[in-house]
Formats: sequence, structure tokens, C-alpha cells
Amino acid sequence: MNDRVMKRSSFPIGKIIIWILLIAVAVIQIFPLVWLLDFSVASSNEMFTNGLLIIPKVIHFDNYVKAFVDGNFLLYLKNSLLINVLAVVLVLIISIMTAFATTRMHWKLSGTVRIIILLGMMIPIHATLLPNYVIYDKLKMTDTIWAILIPYIAFSLPQGLFLTSSFMASIPKEIEEAAIMDGCGIYRIIIVIITPMLRTSLVTVSIMTFLNNWNEFMMASTYLNTDKWRTLPFSVLKFTGLYSSNYAVQFAVMALTAAPMVIIYILLSKHITKGVAMGAVKG
Amino acid sequence: MEKTYSNKAIIVSLVLPGIITFIFAILAPIILSGYYSTTDFSGLGDFTFIGFDNFTELFKDKTFWTALTNSLLLAVGFIVIQHPLAIMMAALLDRKGKRAEGFFRAVYFLPNVISVVIIAYLWKFIFNANFGLLNNIVEMFGGKGNINWLGTGNAIWSVLIVLIWHGFGWGMLIYYTGIKNIDPVLYEAAAIDGCNNKSMFLRITLPLMKPVIQVNVTLAIIAALKQMETVYLLTNGGPGNETQFMANYLYKQAFSSFRYGYGNAISVVFVAICIIATQVLNVIFREREER
Amino acid sequence: MKKLFSLVLVLAMILSLAACGNKDDDKTGDDNGTSPTTAPDDSSDDDATGEAVTIKVFTNLPDRTTGQGFVEQTLFDSYMAENKNVKIEVEALDDEAYKTKFKAYAAGTTMPDLVSVWGQPGFIDEVMDAGLLQELNAADYADYGFIPGSLDGFSKDGKLYGLARNTDVIGFYYNAKMFQDNGWTVPTTYTELLALADTINAKGIIPVAMDGGDKWPLYIYMTDLLQKIDGTGVMQKTADAIANADFSDPSFKKAAELLREAASKGLFQTGFETTDYGTAKNLFTNGQSAMFYMGSWEMSMATNQDIAPEIRDNIRVFTMPLIDGAQGKATDISAWNGGGYSVTASGAQKEEAIKLLNYMFKPEGWTKLAWENGVCMSAQDFSQFATGNETEVQKQFTELVKSATSLSGTPLGDMGTSEFKTQSSDLTQEVSIGVKTADEYLQGLAGASK
Repeated sequence: MNDRVMKRSSFPIGKIIIWILLIAVAVIQIFPLVWLLDFSVASSNEMFTNGLLIIPKVIHFDNYVKAFVDGNFLLYLKNSLLINVLAVVLVLIISIMTAFATTRMHWKLSGTVRIIILLGMMIPIHATLLPNYVIYDKLKMTDTIWAILIPYIAFSLPQGLFLTSSFMASIPKEIEEAAIMDGCGIYRIIIVIITPMLRTSLVTVSIMTFLNNWNEFMMASTYLNTDKWRTLPFSVLKFTGLYSSNYAVQFAVMALTAAPMVIIYILLSKHITKGVAMGAVKG
Repeated sequence: MEKTYSNKAIIVSLVLPGIITFIFAILAPIILSGYYSTTDFSGLGDFTFIGFDNFTELFKDKTFWTALTNSLLLAVGFIVIQHPLAIMMAALLDRKGKRAEGFFRAVYFLPNVISVVIIAYLWKFIFNANFGLLNNIVEMFGGKGNINWLGTGNAIWSVLIVLIWHGFGWGMLIYYTGIKNIDPVLYEAAAIDGCNNKSMFLRITLPLMKPVIQVNVTLAIIAALKQMETVYLLTNGGPGNETQFMANYLYKQAFSSFRYGYGNAISVVFVAICIIATQVLNVIFREREER
Repeated sequence: MKKLFSLVLVLAMILSLAACGNKDDDKTGDDNGTSPTTAPDDSSDDDATGEAVTIKVFTNLPDRTTGQGFVEQTLFDSYMAENKNVKIEVEALDDEAYKTKFKAYAAGTTMPDLVSVWGQPGFIDEVMDAGLLQELNAADYADYGFIPGSLDGFSKDGKLYGLARNTDVIGFYYNAKMFQDNGWTVPTTYTELLALADTINAKGIIPVAMDGGDKWPLYIYMTDLLQKIDGTGVMQKTADAIANADFSDPSFKKAAELLREAASKGLFQTGFETTDYGTAKNLFTNGQSAMFYMGSWEMSMATNQDIAPEIRDNIRVFTMPLIDGAQGKATDISAWNGGGYSVTASGAQKEEAIKLLNYMFKPEGWTKLAWENGVCMSAQDFSQFATGNETEVQKQFTELVKSATSLSGTPLGDMGTSEFKTQSSDLTQEVSIGVKTADEYLQGLAGASK
């Protein structure tokens, strides 16, 4: 893009240094993961060597078999996907509704309500762990999908609202005012006019919500008692107990647990990085 | 028009789901927390009200102050180490990355998509004093390779390294986008005026990035205050209480020491600190709000 | 927008695929995919003899395929096979996670029916006081062969609230082959132990793998030292010290100094204070360390197929060596009855849970299975189940318990409140790494007692 600038400043040594720097940071960011993969196919006693990476004598894919079977991988994956997709969809819907009501509609408490919900961003989830348990227990909601879906939504909502309302503020009012003149109702305006215009921010909200909740485990392990709704991070916790004397399998289960998200990320990396960045910059 | 926009029924129907979720999952537990914070509840059985005793004890509690200091240290670490690094790398990537930009961006961000559970366990292995990766590297460069990374004195820095490493991609990405939004014409004009790279960075990139930096700094401070999972899994506040953070400390008090009332007092103060910090930052960055 | 839709689409596809492939798992109610808990039940629903009963068990033994978890699961499976109408649902978590979750359960309205508990005041007193546990009929267990005193921790005001699972002894597991190959001998005094540490370190091997990250092995080490310093009365002395908030007795200081000396002279691995249980164990089982300081329940290492035979077959044990000029004898050992089970008062299936508990603790239940599998020593008389095929380390532990002249308990962790335990754990860790001096440590303990 700024070719002229480039030409002026790019003499070989500087360029090489810059490239070394870029590559070095890339290596630092990615190496622990390479290490993880490497160890996941080794055998446990090979891990006590001194090299940076180990070259396993035999590639142990059976580590993955153990991790897959004993880790209940498919069940946890299904739960993770279901819960997270639901959370994303509900966060989107509620964010749009609340954002519209608090930025567009005229009522006295709109600012207050918005600020209060945004305060949720400040609230540490861990402060709510035990009181929430008491509440869910009284309502017989422990070990149901709601026990984690509701807090996931609640704690992603502030961010969702924040992003959607700042995007909404930048949408000119003229279009919807014209629509109202034509007799269009509020709900219709939200669905037909506002939502499509918000799409970039919605992608961002989806990605942020997904990233935040996908990896959550504190609530999942507190509110859920059986495997029925347990999510992927739990398999890692479970394996440290189950295979405490077999490191290789622990590495395999970590790699396996990380895999779905990494695959999704590789497939959609352009959109994810763009979405995250848009959100923070515009927000 | 005004009538449509102030239709009470519609307003209520729009905000109700959000408010209900908020009340149910955030407000109610916090009120409950406030209630328990004035008791000597152990988590089991009966309890009595003890007024503000928990709070007076808290302000005398050394570990609480350690936790607060650690949070601040972490925030400073983010602001002084992670963010400058992120801005620099973002600028480099923007100016010199060429066709590999996308690749680098993707790689830098990768750790962010991996579960904290995995990150923490992985780094625990990396930091292991006896067979960890880091000591192996030290050994390769001729060191003795017996550094106790999670030991006393080092632990807090190791925790910082992990958190900075984990969040680096996120910050970088945001700055990168900020830089991309800067009009290239400005750089061209500066180049014609004979500016070198360094002064272009200082005179154009940084000033124009101010709003982005402000948002990022706010988010970093909040993240530092709220830090829990990584510390919980990596050191659980140890050795002793050296790497204690507020969230982890309230958890420890409530769940290990069976001092649920006290734990709740911590969480009330914790929530207050988070809110005050944000307010203060808002005041500082006021001009941006008024833009 | 299109991208978002395609993302959702991809997810939905994976979701439906996963759902199809996983119908069976879905039904598995127990915590653990590996255990066949529900398998016998599925076929028996039709020919059930009694009313269908589901007993919820909450246990601190997550590993269901080896060690104590295996024994527990085996008992559950055979109970279900004998009682077709009973289904046992297991939820299992590691100790720390277990205690957290236990607390959450306790704060709620219903608890699982059968739960793991620790018969130590630091854990069980608060639970008993809150009325969470169901009283058991002590007379029922008269002929169960429980070792005298083993149920004391589970009793209050003459009422019994739980059964002890094991008699636990702490010791130094060592790799006999490594010792032999290098010409090392088992130390008989503390000085020899520290000298041995130097020799082993010089070889580039870790002398003792220590789980200092969990902290309790450290305060047990302290207790172990106290036992060797004083010989008897350690439990009472500590209890008094806590009650009076006064740790000025010289024995405490001496023990703290000896612990610090061991750590500073490199008896434990670098970074022992942050090494967790699994890592410490792995250092030993992979030949990285010559010794491993841990309780007798780890005797199952000797039969663990994940461990290489040349190490597995050479595991032996010795207890804390004598301290020069102190009163403790070799037979004054550090041992206690810790973990066990209780039936909860709020559980839905109290009667059934008690039946299950009684089934488990019939002498030919837990005791026999645990012994035959080389897992641990139950809190009951297990001598009748001697098979002659015991592992060496099993025989050694049996001998230790038989010849013991005094047992220590774990007073530094467990004679006070949970609050005391947390602080005492932190303080012991800090004194071991030299962050606190012995005097500061004792002051800290006194402060925590108030």
C-alpha cells in the first residue's frame, strides 16, 4: 500500500531484523502448541528427556484412542457445541432487543438500565458461583442445561450489548424513521432494518461470546453433576485424575480438546480475527 | 413518531429478557453475597450476623492486599509490556508483513482460541523445574537449567508471562486493525516531509491510535482485576499466597477455609473495586466519550 | 452474514453427527465413561425384584480403573449385580475439586446419598455439626473388624456418622534397584538421609519426589518429624497447642528447622513447593527420583501396569529415619485413619445407601478386595485375607502397622478448623522454602489457632 514509504526505508539488514522479529514472535506463540502435539504421540517416560522436542520411538496414536473413548469426547463435543450455539443465538437476540430499547426508544430509565447491564462486565463471575448454586438448587435447575446456559448468557450479555449499542448508535435514524412513517412497527424495524445493518457487529458478538464460553469450566464443574451436559474443558480436568500416571494420554486429551476450536479457527480465521478486531476498535 | 418510540409496552417487552437474565444470574447472587458478607456463615448449617466484622478483618488481611497488589502488577504488566509490544508488532506487521500478514496474524492469535484449562496445564509442564521445556532451553544456551519458575519470587513473573503470552494476540489484533484504519495518505505525506519510520510511528500511528489504546487499556485493567482461572490452575495462589489474586482468594476462603461469609465480603469489596476502577478510567478518558 | 450462517451450519452439522454417534453415551449417567456402572442395570430393568432405586454416590476417587477407585467401582458393580433394582450413579472428582463441590452440595437442599468424607475435625466437624450426616448404628459394625480407634474421627458425642476406609501410613517409597546399583543404603538416621540426598544429587538424580504443591504432604512431613522427636503424644501436644494458641514447645521449632534443612539441602526436587501430586508421582515412577514421600495408598504403584516393570517391581518403603538425640523410636510412625464414607441426612435414599455402605464394608468387601489388589490397607483387620502373593511393599507396610508403638494422626492439618488447616498448610509450605523462619512459622500457627 505505501510502496514509496517502503522503498525509502527498506534496506536489507533492517528488513532481515524485522522478519526475524516477526518469525520469533510467531514461534513463541505457536511453540507450546507444537510441543503439546509432539508429546501427545510420545510415551510417558520419553517426556523426561532434555531436548526441546522428543522424537518418539513409536508414534502412539493409541493415546488419542484412550483420550477419545475414556474422555467421552463426542458427548462433550456435542454438549459444548449445543450450549455455545444456543448461548450465542440468545445473546444476539437479547443484545439487539436491549440495545434498541436503550439507544433508540425514549424512556426515562433507558440510560440507567443500559449502564446497569453494562456493569455486568465488571462483575467477576466467580463471585456468583456459590450463591448461584443455592439459587439453582432451590429451583431444581442443577444438572440441567439451564444451569450453565443462563450464566453464560448473562455474562456475555454486557459485552454484546456494549458492541451492538455502539454500532446501533452509528446507524442513521432516517431509514427507520421513514419506516415508521410508513406504519412499520418496532419489532419489524428491528428484524428487517436494524439486524441486517448490524451484521458486522453481530459476527463480532457471536465470536466473542463463543470464545468466552467455549473454554469456561468453573461453572460447568460446579453446576453440573453428571456427564449429561458436561462440556469439553471438563475432559482435561477429568483426565488429570484418571490418568495421573500417564502423561502422554493427558497431552493427547488436551490436544483433542483444543482441536475443534483450532479447526474452526483455521477454517474461519480471517473472519474471526476481523470480527474480534472490528468489535474492539469500533466499540 | 415520538409515540412509537415511547410505547411503554414495546419497551418493556424489549428490555425484559435482558433484565431478567441480568437479575437472575448476576444481581440476585450479588445481593445474596452482600447478605452473606455480614454473617459468619461457614457454608454449612447455621450462622449469625456479625455486622461489618468481615470487612474490618479484610482490610487488615495481608493476603487481600497482596492480591490487590498482584492485580495492579498484572495490569501494569499488560500496559507496560504486552501493549507496547502488541502495538509495535502490529505496526511492523502492517508496514512490513506483506503477503505473510494474514499468516502472522492468525498465528499470533491462535493461543486465544485454546481453553484456559489447557493453557494452564501446558504451561505448568513448560515451567516444571525438573523436566520442563523452559529449563531445557536454558540448558541449551549453557545455563544450569534448574530455575524454579513457579517458586518463590519467580512465580508472579511466570504467571505474568503466561497471561501476557495468552492475551498478546488479542491486543495485537486490535491494534493492527486500528492501524489499518489510518489513512495511508498521512504516511505518504510524512514521507515526503522527510520523516523516518520512527518519527512516523510516534507522530502519526500513536496519536491516531489513542482511542484504541484507551479501550484496550481499560479492558486490560479489568482483565487483570478479574484474573482467576489461569492462576487457579497454574499456582492456586502459591507458593504461600504470593500469587494470590482477589477472585482466587475469595474462592479459597469460601471453599477451602469454609469461611463463606468472609469470602462473600471479599467478593463484595472486589465488585466495588472493579466498578470504581472502571469509573475512574472513564473519567480519565472522558474526552473520548464526548467525542 | 453469509459467513456467520455458514459457521452456524457447520456447527449444526457437527452437532447432529455427534448426536448420532453418541446415543449410548448419552444415557450413561455416571461420571465416568470407562466404568461399566450402568451396564448391568440396563438389562435388569424388566426383571427387577424390588422397587427401582437409584443411589447417588459422590466420591473423591476419579480413577475408576486402578487403585482405590477400581476397588470401589468393583464393589458397586457387584452390588448392582446382586440387587437388580439398584442403580448406582457415581460422580467422582479429585480431592480439591471434590471438597469444593461438597461444599456446594452442602449449601444446597439435597446431597448425594453416599459421600466421601475425611474423619478429621478440619473436615468432618463442621459437617457433623451442621447435621448433614446420617447417624449409623454403631452396633451394626461390632463384628466388622474395624481397628480400635479407627472410627473415632467419624464419631461425635458417642454417635457414629461414617466409616473409615483405610489405615494410612506415610513413608519414603524408594527404588530398590536404583539403590542397589548405586550402592546406596536405606538411611537409619535423619543425618544419613540428608547425606544420602547429597550423594544422589551428585548423580544428577532427584533424591525425594515431594508433592509440596498440595501442601498437606508437607505438614504430614512435619508431623512425621514431630513423631520422631517426641515419640508419643504428638496428637495431644498439637491439639493443646492449637487450643491454647501456643506453639512455643521446642519440638515444633525443631521439626520446622529439620524440614527447612531438608529442603535447603536438596532432599526434594527443585520447585517441590509447586509440584502437584501427579507430577511428583511421575518423577518417581519414571525413574527421575530415587524416593517418593507419600501415603500407603500408593502401594498400588507396585501393581500398576502403566509403570515400567523394572521400577514397579522394585518399589520398597521405609519410614522417617531416627533423629539424633531424640526420643522417637523407629516404631513410632506417622499413620492415621483418614478417608471414609458417610450417608447424608438429606439424601433421598438413606436406607438404601446404608445398605450399600454395609455391603461395601463387610470384611470380605472393601478390605479383601483392597488387600488382594495391593491397593491399600483398610481400616479393618485384613490379616485373614493374606494371600501369600503380596507385593514386597505391601508386606513392609503390614509389618510397619503391626509393630507400631504409636501412631501420629495428622494433627497439624486436622485438629483445628478448616481455616486453621488452610493457614497451617500455607505456613508449612512457606517455612519449607525459607520464606518464613521457624519462629515466624510458629507465630503464624499460633495466630491461626485463635
